[in-house]
Amino acid sequence: MSLSQRLGSQNLAEAPVHLIAGRDPVSIRFGDQLIAVLPRLRRFARGLTGSAVEADDLVQAACERALARQHQFQEGTRFDSWMFRIVQTIWIDQVRSRDVRKEGGEVAEERMGSDEAVRRVEARLALGEVRRAVDRLPPDQRTALLLVTVDGLSYKETAEIVGVPVGTIMSRLARARIALQQQLESGGGMRRSTDNAKAQ
Amino acid sequence: MQKRSDDRLIAYLDGEVDVSERREIEAWLDSDPAARDKLAALAQSAALVRSAFDEVMHEPLPDRLIAAARGERVSAEPSAKIVPLRRGPGTGKAPAARSWWLGLPLAASLFGLLLGGSVAYLSVAKLLPGGIGGKQPAVEMAAADNLWLDNAVGYFKLAASAGDGALVDVPATGDAREAWQKISQSLPQEVRWPDLNLKPWGLNFRGARLVVADGRPAAQLMYTTDNKAIGPLTLIIGSSNEPDTPPTLARRQDVNLLYWRHQGRAYALVGQTDVGYLWGIANDVAWQLDAI
Repeated sequence: MSLSQRLGSQNLAEAPVHLIAGRDPVSIRFGDQLIAVLPRLRRFARGLTGSAVEADDLVQAACERALARQHQFQEGTRFDSWMFRIVQTIWIDQVRSRDVRKEGGEVAEERMGSDEAVRRVEARLALGEVRRAVDRLPPDQRTALLLVTVDGLSYKETAEIVGVPVGTIMSRLARARIALQQQLESGGGMRRSTDNAKAQ
Repeated sequence: MQKRSDDRLIAYLDGEVDVSERREIEAWLDSDPAARDKLAALAQSAALVRSAFDEVMHEPLPDRLIAAARGERVSAEPSAKIVPLRRGPGTGKAPAARSWWLGLPLAASLFGLLLGGSVAYLSVAKLLPGGIGGKQPAVEMAAADNLWLDNAVGYFKLAASAGDGALVDVPATGDAREAWQKISQSLPQEVRWPDLNLKPWGLNFRGARLVVADGRPAAQLMYTTDNKAIGPLTLIIGSSNEPDTPPTLARRQDVNLLYWRHQGRAYALVGQTDVGYLWGIANDVAWQLDAI
């Protein structure tokens, strides 16, 4: 288990507090918890939006909402789940209001300028193909896939975050996995992506 | 079998079936090659999806998100004050032994200031040429948690102020792994060397020296980077007889620390960069060393 994951699952009450002059200890503890879970939130948001910039906008909005509503967080419950739920809620609102769909932005965002990038370009593009396949999934399936398959949450935890029964998560996830596999197989990306992922 | 479908195979892969159902599915897999192929393909696509988003976890956190998490506004100035590495006179040309002596007055004053005379493990012998293979000086234990964190900050400031390449027992010339092997020979417990050079934050390993952490000899690894938002960093790896401690953030004056203990080892990542970077780098350290 990664450091971030360990911190993300800690309760606020368990988080050590260290005083910083001029700042409220509760806010410091809350902020530290939030920072600890940021990498996972960014990954989740990246998968939801398909865009690095939109993902960070989404996470920033989630942070602001969490701070504004920190009194609503229930001690003894999982902080990371609470934050995932905020991210997901904001994103769903955005999807509904703007019908946000992005096509092909990921390739343009690939950064290939570093010294090592040259030999990794092909691998990155192949994994970009996987990201685009995820991006083509319907929002509810994408959410289930990202929370369960990418972040490793249980069906029950995911159901609580999304606010639907476990059976619904199970069926959304199954549809997502099958659609994803079909897309990768039809595009020839499955084998290529696997080979290149190993090369990374 | 309740339902021989992809749903069940996926739930099986995700560990979301009970014991009896798992047995049924495994019996089905034993007798049906097509189901086994399907299971393998599903596992493969799941691994690909995880790989596709893995790099996000290793990216430095944007300042604006860290500021948002703290309820602060994003300012144009970096939130952490970076201490520039001051290259000592002649550091690039002088033999290594000269750097030790140049750094000693500063070392003594900083230790005196920061440690308040509470820790006697000023490894003068280690700072002398050939000291790495010599007799170990006596070690006075630092009892309190706070004290070893204070020490870690002191060591960081010492390294940052002394300059690039100064005050190291083993410089990172040539193969950094070779340098690490040399210093690890002086530690009571074998520890592995984390390779942070190729990570997104572009850290350069500058050398290592023996210090004390948790009252025992430890290795302090020094890193620099061209990334102004990160600045110099030190990583202390030592042994500890204290219970495991979860990753914990701490701050001493203008220095941030992320420290933890795991299976008899103590770790402290120290720098003046924001905690977001410390999280990312510590995550890599933990993953590479199986420290968590």
